[in-house]
Amino acid sequence: MTDPASLQGVAMRTDWYIFIAAGVAVGIFVYVCIGWCLIAYRDRSGRVAEQFENNKPLEILYLVIPLLMVFALFGVTYAIEMPIDRVTGPPNRIAVTAFRWSWRFEYPNGTSTAGTPTKPPTLYLPVGRSTQIELRSDDVTHSFWVPAFLFKRDAIPGMINVFDVTPNRTGRFVSRCAQFCGLDHALMSFVVEVVPQSTYARYLAGNGTVTP
Amino acid sequence: MIEWLTTTDHKKIGIMYVVFVLAFFVIAGVLAGLIRAQLAVPNNTLLGAHAYNQVFTLHGTAMIFLVIAPFGFGLANFLVPLQIGAPDVAFPRLNAAGLWLFVLGGLTVFAGLATYGGAAATGWTAYAPLNEYFVGTGAGQDLFFIGLLMTSISTILTSINLLVTVFLLRAPGMTMWRIPIFTWEIVATSLLVLMAFPSLAAAFAMALIDRHMGAHFFDPAFGGNPVLYQHLFWFFGHPEVYVLILPYFGMITEIIATFSRKPVFGYVGMVISAFAIAGLSLGVWAHHMFTTGAVSNPFFSAVSFLIAVPTGVKFVNWIGTMWKGAISLTVPMLFAVGFLLNFLIGGITGVMIASPPIDYQAHDSYFIVQHFHYTIGGGSLFALFGALYFWFPKMFGFRLDERLGRWVFALLFLGFNATFIPMGFMGMEGMARRVYTYPAVGHLPMLNAIATLGSALMALGAILFFVEVLLAVRRRIPAGDNPWGAYTLEWMTSSPPPEFNFETLPAVRSRRPAL
Repeated sequence: MTDPASLQGVAMRTDWYIFIAAGVAVGIFVYVCIGWCLIAYRDRSGRVAEQFENNKPLEILYLVIPLLMVFALFGVTYAIEMPIDRVTGPPNRIAVTAFRWSWRFEYPNGTSTAGTPTKPPTLYLPVGRSTQIELRSDDVTHSFWVPAFLFKRDAIPGMINVFDVTPNRTGRFVSRCAQFCGLDHALMSFVVEVVPQSTYARYLAGNGTVTP
Repeated sequence: MIEWLTTTDHKKIGIMYVVFVLAFFVIAGVLAGLIRAQLAVPNNTLLGAHAYNQVFTLHGTAMIFLVIAPFGFGLANFLVPLQIGAPDVAFPRLNAAGLWLFVLGGLTVFAGLATYGGAAATGWTAYAPLNEYFVGTGAGQDLFFIGLLMTSISTILTSINLLVTVFLLRAPGMTMWRIPIFTWEIVATSLLVLMAFPSLAAAFAMALIDRHMGAHFFDPAFGGNPVLYQHLFWFFGHPEVYVLILPYFGMITEIIATFSRKPVFGYVGMVISAFAIAGLSLGVWAHHMFTTGAVSNPFFSAVSFLIAVPTGVKFVNWIGTMWKGAISLTVPMLFAVGFLLNFLIGGITGVMIASPPIDYQAHDSYFIVQHFHYTIGGGSLFALFGALYFWFPKMFGFRLDERLGRWVFALLFLGFNATFIPMGFMGMEGMARRVYTYPAVGHLPMLNAIATLGSALMALGAILFFVEVLLAVRRRIPAGDNPWGAYTLEWMTSSPPPEFNFETLPAVRSRRPAL
């Protein structure tokens, strides 16, 4: 699993860990049961199968236990998802527009950049500060995916999708379109560069001409 | 030849379904090989973008609509009347119409390859508004919609036919609580088809009308909505994945009970869980849309989790059926055990991606590719092979070779896991699905190379299977009426069964009339 580069990503990684732990536990239990049957109940000479076909208390038990597990997993999911989906409206708002097959980024002061399939654009984000991303699409449905944030959201024509992200460390993160959007979908990538807040301010002041 | 083309005998129709399914399986397998060849190394230029996009679209479409779904119904065609003691299905001519509609529909989808602009290249989901681009040159997209409309009409007709057959044509003594689990799963599947497939027909018809008559159902510039297409598609699409698995649950239930020498454990629970899965599957479609920001994620997440409960009931029942039995690891049983081992991984990853914070990373990545191949490939496809080995003697009167069959299983099982285990890690590292090329970063080159090697093993296994079938046809070692010592009614008649199935009315006094 990628080391998360945002506060939201850290929370989502916790969700991954909990589910992986639960999945591995259930998986091992079932594999051991199957393995036991195959070894202990192999058809050897003289072995006669016991002819039973139900066991009421057991059947109720394996209905109730998975139900309780499911409730617990849903509780975990809900608790982790709600803060991630909450939009708080921070002042730093960036309009991201997807088009076949690249991206356009417009910053609050009017600075704007766009890329091409062969020349992916860079999105600069200040570290330690919440940024609101407003997603639009010019043509078909795309998806804004930053694997380092463990997050994606679709850019759908005719609607604006909004989410907050709070990067927690600086770095360059290769990112891409996740929703198949036609011929050169594979080349529709971009770079997220998380920079110190002073660098971000300098980038905006230079209207995007000075690359940090 | 004319006899086969004009037949209305459910057994001949069932066998033809299997033959056509295997033909489409070979084509889809070659396409899968092309996918893995293109992705074997980063920045590969073997196939161009457009060729690759057609290849993965046709691979997915063929495996779902022309292999896994019709095999379930094809086998049901052969088996359901035999299992309930009926002379044929309720509407034999409708049955023949269903078969030929399915074949023509499949050929129509592939006919796109011969058009200017090539076959459909928008994925099997064919999302709007992507499916509305290139109206002038995209005859392949139209043929995709028309061909799949034909196969879905075929599926609806077959479902009605099988339901009426089960409800009205059972032999005396064959009460509903005695019909075999495979037939029960087909009843649940057929009901699900009747509820889900009209939504697919609507989505595809609206897309065609959009493309040629300017209706703008899915075009936001004129008040249409692209999300509407996703709702219509997935209202079909999620029940569809249970159409792709429920019949296979039935097949392995019969196989496991037979080779454990025991009755099915928790028969009533097996039946109820099939209907619980079918019912719940109608309320989970938007878990394919967690990242759209247009649906209630907690609701669809909760209902999706709930499906794990009846599926878990089935798993424990399969283990309960093996428990304290006398298990012989024949080839069908090996495939059934392979199903259990693989499908469990598909089920666990399925619960994971039902949690939106996980899905935000996993969605549209190779993690999803891994997940659905573990259910439909490692699950349904393994059960398909198990069912072929199991019922082949009943269909043709002679059997497949057990020793070669073990090799087929070993190659497919090792190859499958080598191909698909790496894909989960690719997804977590940020590899998107449906890409014809990827950069040489992180572990991606190594993981992809392993996956391609695994797919070569699977190809060897599949080739060996067809060699084995040819050998069996040449040798024709008689199988006898009940070579496995199985319990259900189809094993009480001759192999192959006579016209109208039973010489005398079979006596049914229990769930295991052939015991």
